Amino acid sequence: MLNTFIFIVLPYVALALLIFVTPYRYMTNRLTWSAYSTQFLERKTLFWGINPWHYGIIPVLAGHLAGIIAPGTMKSFLANRDTLVLLESVGLGLGLFALFGCLVLLPRRINSPILKRVTFASDYILLILLALQAASGVYIATFMRWGSQWYLHTAVPYLWSLAALNPRVDYMADFPLILKLHAAGAFLIVALLPFTKLVHLLFLPIGFLKDPPLLYRWRSPVVKGE
Amino acid sequence: MDVRAQLVMVFNLDKCIGCHACSISCKNIWTDRKGAEYMWWNNVETKPGIGYPKKWEDQKIFKGGWVADGRNLRLRAMGKGGTLLSMFFQPNMPKLEDYYEPFDFDYSNLYGAKEGNDQPVAEVFSQISGEKMAEIKGGPNWDDDLSGSQLYAAEDINLDDKKIIEEYGTMFMQYLPRICNHCLNPACVASCPSRAIYKRGEDGVVLVDQNVCKGWRFCTSACPYKKVYFNWNSGKAEKCIFCFPRTETGQCNACAHSCVGRIRYVGVLLYDAEKVEQALLKPDDQLVEAHRAVILDPRDESVRAAARKNGVSEQWLEAADKSPVYALVKEFGLALPLHPEFRTMPMAYYIPSLSPVLSTLDDTHELAEHGTFPALEKLRAPIGYLANLLAGGNREVVTSVLAKLIALRGYMRDKNLNQPADESILTSAGLDEAAADRLYRLFTIGGYHERNIIPPQQREEQEPHTRKGASGFGILKKPGRGK
Repeated sequence: MLNTFIFIVLPYVALALLIFVTPYRYMTNRLTWSAYSTQFLERKTLFWGINPWHYGIIPVLAGHLAGIIAPGTMKSFLANRDTLVLLESVGLGLGLFALFGCLVLLPRRINSPILKRVTFASDYILLILLALQAASGVYIATFMRWGSQWYLHTAVPYLWSLAALNPRVDYMADFPLILKLHAAGAFLIVALLPFTKLVHLLFLPIGFLKDPPLLYRWRSPVVKGE
Repeated sequence: MDVRAQLVMVFNLDKCIGCHACSISCKNIWTDRKGAEYMWWNNVETKPGIGYPKKWEDQKIFKGGWVADGRNLRLRAMGKGGTLLSMFFQPNMPKLEDYYEPFDFDYSNLYGAKEGNDQPVAEVFSQISGEKMAEIKGGPNWDDDLSGSQLYAAEDINLDDKKIIEEYGTMFMQYLPRICNHCLNPACVASCPSRAIYKRGEDGVVLVDQNVCKGWRFCTSACPYKKVYFNWNSGKAEKCIFCFPRTETGQCNACAHSCVGRIRYVGVLLYDAEKVEQALLKPDDQLVEAHRAVILDPRDESVRAAARKNGVSEQWLEAADKSPVYALVKEFGLALPLHPEFRTMPMAYYIPSLSPVLSTLDDTHELAEHGTFPALEKLRAPIGYLANLLAGGNREVVTSVLAKLIALRGYMRDKNLNQPADESILTSAGLDEAAADRLYRLFTIGGYHERNIIPPQQREEQEPHTRKGASGFGILKKPGRGK
């Protein structure tokens, strides 16, 4: 029952929301498409929270995605024991870094009166969810070691089976509860993404790297542009 | 030659009385909303002073603008790699305290207070948190008229000698109204990773596309004039829009329209876009000259032909021909760019103030020796100060402008008193009789349509059928979260 919910219902619901709600929000109200930075109002505590969080979570997330996108490459990459140990240690460190960031950001919302008007239920929900996700990840990395290796043989084929619309819950069924919660948390975050400020991570500002510094917009196509 | 048109505002500082009517009309129209309470797209500062936001001119703090790096221009703050690494925490972003915490008063208490022994008061509360504020710590013009000059005016980075504002005999002040300069080389545009800020091709107005902005906040510090603001409610950047819904229909900006002293002139300049970058590589003290060199003569047939080729309409060419701005900036060389050394090539120009025509205390009584006006170097507002403010430190540029202003006054004074007006006063300063007549009209009796020559946008030429049934300007959805 729990397995069906976490590994079949939740991921498909999350995916459906991501696929349908995101473009709807993009088309109808792009004015809410912002990271809603609060640096303007409070920056001292933010510095110690926002930097560890992002610098920790981005490489960890990239590692998870690399396993999904290129499992074969990752398998051969991790076949070397030294590489595996190095990757696991760095991953654990970054996870702790991200968790630390979350734990700084959460009380900041409560303790800074100036943030009252810019703090919504969704901010708390996201922060708590992300903190739990980081904490469960750190727990798994510590007590269920070599996750970067066994992840490629369990979660990755399961995720691919999801994509093939033939979910193979058996890959995940025998894991301890903490890992199932980690998976559930991930799907929940994906589900919440289109509704919250998390949409900011759908726009990687890469295009500007190659652009000329100045940008012109001409109203008429007759006029030459840049 | 890549000729483009730009709408430009000129401020005659001699006539600014510091009444803040411009700020108020701007606030009423554009920034009287949640998240924008602290923004003053138009503000008036007292100089010497540290301005709004505090110390905006000090680029050691906010790292705005460009630096000429040998053969290239680069943003002072960071390159593109640094931008990507600073997205989560933008190290140079001005914070709320650098502006001020916006406040209002609880007037309802005056009516609804319980009966007591004391008069009820309207207590002050923060417009951000909604909480009562124990003390108001700042405002957009907190150092108005040199108040607290030891704390504020003494910190003005343009002031070489701080003693000057400590003595009544040498103290001076003037006002500096500021809007977004709609620069030719805008640093805010270059710093935006979302590419939400753009310069309009037709009139050069710099705008933030609210649909594209993701709130990465680099523009707020990249603008050396601190004229891009972060809306804490919508999570996006906002700035002066040069009242484009008004200028598109040929009306002048709200700030210019409401100006009591009629200090503002709005008009068209034609410039050569190809020469902008080269001009900005010049050393600081040559930048005013470089500015003027980029601006083209609208009566030159080759310029007009190149402009037409770029789609500049006849109406715009006509407006450029009559432009009061061209006369003040280039033809007579009276208006100077604010801090050209920030290298954004600002398109708001300032005529330095002469008034009050007073020398320093000891010399006041020697006026007769110098004729009607004191010698230039004895003027209250030190040449060096004006040069730091308006000429990249070049004293000669300021001296020449002040000499022209003095000559103009002397000549017109004689004329008004029916004394023989000596044209040689004008020629020695680089003006002539026709110039004096034109400037006299512009400075004194020139009406609305002489001070503001704004050609309407030629929307009818630009495929109106594609816009039929579409909405005009304006934000139809509510920004921000909640409610």
